[in-house]
Amino acid sequence: MPKACFINGSVKGHDFSRAEKGQQDCGVLTPEGFGPTLEATYETRSRQLRSSCVLAGLMALFAVVAPGQAAPRRPGELAWAIHYDPKTFDPAKVDEQASELVRYLTGGVLLRINRQTQEPEPQLAESYQVSLKGTLIVFKLRSGLRFSDGTSLTSADVAWSLRRVLAPSTQGVVAEEFLSPSEVVVETPDPLTVTIHLPKAVTGVGKIFDEIAIEPANRPSEGRVTSGPFTVSDYKRGQYVRLSRNPNYWRRDSAGTQLPYATGVRLDVLNNREQEISLFLRGEYDLIDSLSPDYFAIVAQKSPQSVHDLGASLNTEQLWFNQFSAAPLPEFEKAWLQNRNFRIAVSDAIHRADLARIAYNGHATPAFGFISPANKLWYNNDLKYPHESVADANRMLAASGFHRNENQLYDATGHPVRFSILTNSGNAARQKMAAMIQQDLAAIGMQVTIVDLDFPALIERLLHKQDYEACLLGLSNVEPDPNEMMNLWLSSSPNHQWNPSEKTPATAWEAEIDKQMQLQASSSSEQVRKLAVDRVQQIVADQQPFIYLVYPNALQAISPQLQGVKAAILSPGPAWNIDFISRKDGAR
Amino acid sequence: MKKHIAAAVLLLLILGAALVLWLSPYNYAFQDRDAIMAPSTAQHWTGTDELGRDRTVRVAAALLIGLTGATAAAVITIMIAASFGLLAAYSPPAVAAILMFVSDGFLSLPWLFLLMMARSLLPLTASPLQTAVTTFLVLAAFGWPACARAIYRGAAQFRTAEWMIQGHACGLKTRQLVRLHLVPHLRPLLLPQFLICVPAFIVAEANLGALGLGVGEPMPSWGAMLLELENSALLARSQWVYLPIALLVVVLLILESFTTEIEY
Amino acid sequence: MHLPMIVLARVGRTLLLMLFAAAGTILLVRFAPGYFTDYREMDTKYTQAAQAEIQADAAQQQSAGQIAMRMVKSWLNGDLGQSRQYGVPVAELIGARLQVSALLLVRGILWGWLLAICTALPISGMRKGGVLWGLPFTVLLAIPTAAMATACILAEVGGPVLVLSLIVAAREFKFLRNLLEGAWRSPHLLQGRAQGLSPRALVTMHILPNVAPQLRALATLSIVTALGALVPIEVIFTVPGVGQLAWSAVMNRDLPVLVAVSLLMTAVVGFAGMLSSRAVTLEEA
Repeated sequence: MPKACFINGSVKGHDFSRAEKGQQDCGVLTPEGFGPTLEATYETRSRQLRSSCVLAGLMALFAVVAPGQAAPRRPGELAWAIHYDPKTFDPAKVDEQASELVRYLTGGVLLRINRQTQEPEPQLAESYQVSLKGTLIVFKLRSGLRFSDGTSLTSADVAWSLRRVLAPSTQGVVAEEFLSPSEVVVETPDPLTVTIHLPKAVTGVGKIFDEIAIEPANRPSEGRVTSGPFTVSDYKRGQYVRLSRNPNYWRRDSAGTQLPYATGVRLDVLNNREQEISLFLRGEYDLIDSLSPDYFAIVAQKSPQSVHDLGASLNTEQLWFNQFSAAPLPEFEKAWLQNRNFRIAVSDAIHRADLARIAYNGHATPAFGFISPANKLWYNNDLKYPHESVADANRMLAASGFHRNENQLYDATGHPVRFSILTNSGNAARQKMAAMIQQDLAAIGMQVTIVDLDFPALIERLLHKQDYEACLLGLSNVEPDPNEMMNLWLSSSPNHQWNPSEKTPATAWEAEIDKQMQLQASSSSEQVRKLAVDRVQQIVADQQPFIYLVYPNALQAISPQLQGVKAAILSPGPAWNIDFISRKDGAR
Repeated sequence: MKKHIAAAVLLLLILGAALVLWLSPYNYAFQDRDAIMAPSTAQHWTGTDELGRDRTVRVAAALLIGLTGATAAAVITIMIAASFGLLAAYSPPAVAAILMFVSDGFLSLPWLFLLMMARSLLPLTASPLQTAVTTFLVLAAFGWPACARAIYRGAAQFRTAEWMIQGHACGLKTRQLVRLHLVPHLRPLLLPQFLICVPAFIVAEANLGALGLGVGEPMPSWGAMLLELENSALLARSQWVYLPIALLVVVLLILESFTTEIEY
Repeated sequence: MHLPMIVLARVGRTLLLMLFAAAGTILLVRFAPGYFTDYREMDTKYTQAAQAEIQADAAQQQSAGQIAMRMVKSWLNGDLGQSRQYGVPVAELIGARLQVSALLLVRGILWGWLLAICTALPISGMRKGGVLWGLPFTVLLAIPTAAMATACILAEVGGPVLVLSLIVAAREFKFLRNLLEGAWRSPHLLQGRAQGLSPRALVTMHILPNVAPQLRALATLSIVTALGALVPIEVIFTVPGVGQLAWSAVMNRDLPVLVAVSLLMTAVVGFAGMLSSRAVTLEEA
């Protein structure tokens, strides 16, 4: 292909002798000048542009691919989204929430906690008895139980499943609930009886056995052969998990119809909230378990009967200061963070009602303690806590030697009070709260920097290096029983966020918390336990190691096409009575 | 758009933004908590955002910060890319191969992790301005490899063009040839890259907010305002959410007018 | 230099680049904040289990050297290592997703280029109004990729290919228009027009051949652009491709997956660079 070269105004190396077809449409130079020829060229080019635009538009249409659904829905199948792939389908090794959901939907259990009444209900076990000391449990199984593959379910399968969960090699999280799993003895006097000898009494027996799925002895199948309502029938990583109805499920409704009503469940792996909502509004998803407050109004506008605000959940959002004595912080800063008056002043200055109204669009409740009012059994109705008051905040700070100079607060040694609040990126409500707290604390002279980090970097700073000043995060309380929070409140625990893994309690009030939590863990008297937990709540309100901000409300979206749903805030949310849920237009 | 009109519009935008900041009774951080996502009023010309902050003031501040940062970063990145590409074009083949190898290597590495390390080295109490400057510098430092190869190819091609040979024969030194003849011929590659970098850096700054970099609260971030376009809940509540992108389009058109090659 | 030798040299270069990318990725990821962490540590129920796993992991992967040795062994095994987040061979993870991403990339780049060329050619030849005619592409440049993708989802129109095409087209349009503007106004083009050549002849015989080397270099650039846009597009549209896997790997510090993705990206960039270099070399030969 010859190239044209231009040197000193001449054209070299190109043959212009051949005229191409259509030259009358081109810019031919005439003695009159450029006018008509350039107009012709412009007209040509405009036609070309128009045709190019049409062609481009057509190509854009060809490039259209409708946003995909992972797999078409089967008749009678329920569908909703989970936000990440389950790590395992082995019910004994569940250690995160997506796997827990699959276990809940597929695993047959001896007892199930009714998520509304919070009382254990017999499932595979027809009845059970716990001895007075709490060290002997006897389960009587229903007769005629079968696994999904048709094989019989007997006490041997129950014993095998329990022993597998307790075995150190399984590293099952549930085993820890037994306190000394290696000392637990499981016996099967007959095919329908299981006796369990515990070395120590455990609290929340019903809750523990809610999490142990019974599998065929010596045939672990990772959810493919189950005794629960569904079995895992298909899994495409990053796309979906498909569950199919267990044809041999033991349960029937009052009319004798076999349960579950739904023919199956499809859990799409979808981490995009916009897409989840779009698919829900299109009817491709049946429910959204934790609807973001930002999107509540959007869904309510388009489908008012779908949205449900169940009031305060069990979860909390809190701010806390790093009180670890060996933290890599200047000593004067540690002095602030370990100062009770400083923490109370911060708590007093924060307008919690604004946080609930603005950050959560009204779908949150101001919080002052770690037990949500939704947890009626354990909430301390007589809790005394500091109230919002900038004047009180200033008084508390003055009492500890802080003073103001214009808009800046200084400590007794003359250091300006400036610190950072870490939080995780990707949570819009939390980021709004952080910005609001920044303004609230500016009113008492504290200059706060907000730092958003991705979760791994945040965890490293918080739990491994303790290299932070303050942190704003939430706590998901899946269980109402405060015994589940032992890891949070025991000073020796690595999850004792403000001062983890203490060899001995650093303060008298932390020692008191340890004592009360251990009392409630070991007592079999509900009254004693309640008093102990009340005491812990009061200590926390007095000392503010966690400055509780709000209890986010439980927001759910449930398709009007669904029937049988009973609202509950405990995990797994609206799907808790999955046996009775079905689509109005679906097969049963 | 003619260049002088474009310059006037840009100046008007910048002066307007500065005036808004200077004259407004609200600063960009003040939260009017009784006026959340408020519509346009006499007090708040373009309404307020989700925290009751005056949108006009915040957009004005974001425009000044974002425009300065992104334009400066784009200029730096283009200069680095051009230097790299020209150096490779004028080096012996072995050296050019090494330079292009380094450039491709830069493209292949997950620099996100280096950015995380950069954040961990910054003090937690670094001011929003400090993190913003760091972010734009980092973007400038890592934005060049994509264009360097194209510049190298272009420069290598033009280096042996007859007009370059003629210039050399006329006694021009290499530096003069590069500055006076070669770089102007590379403008079709450099200028579009500059135009692409500006909005890319504005958005990248907001995305880096997830790693603790970017413009921190309460300072407004133009990129973060653009990312609000992803949020259907916000789009439904206020039309003023489109203001930052409208301004960005105007700014890009203005920059494009400056960088357009046509001259008669 | 003979063609086989050229190709061999280029392939060798790409392999060296891949080695460099693997080493760099191991260093960067290993020493970035959050490597020895697990999000389950924040869950009081699963903290101990998570920490036990982390300690076991840390014992085996303290130094970059140890990690590199394990990587090399896994490459020799062919499974490319075990994914930290999924616990399955990386080769199995990536293999399933490669075709999805490759198809998306190819279609996105091709459509994007077609759109850019079809619009840049006539617009570049206009005397006035070129900037305004190019306004749609300026608007596309201004819209973040994620916002564009979300808009498609909300409007229930378009999909990942459309978004990728538009992104590629918006960027390539700017380059192409400037290149072609210069080409339209070069003296030999004026001469050709004066001699009566049709626009089609001018384009096919003079403009495109002259800008072909820059176009090839731009092709490499557009592959890089498309690779960069792949991650947000796949994440937002939930396309089960390599981009989605890469993002999840970044969030979970899944080093074996990240190394594999880096290798893949390097291979693609190296191959693209090889193609553009090879074409130039052939012309020079």
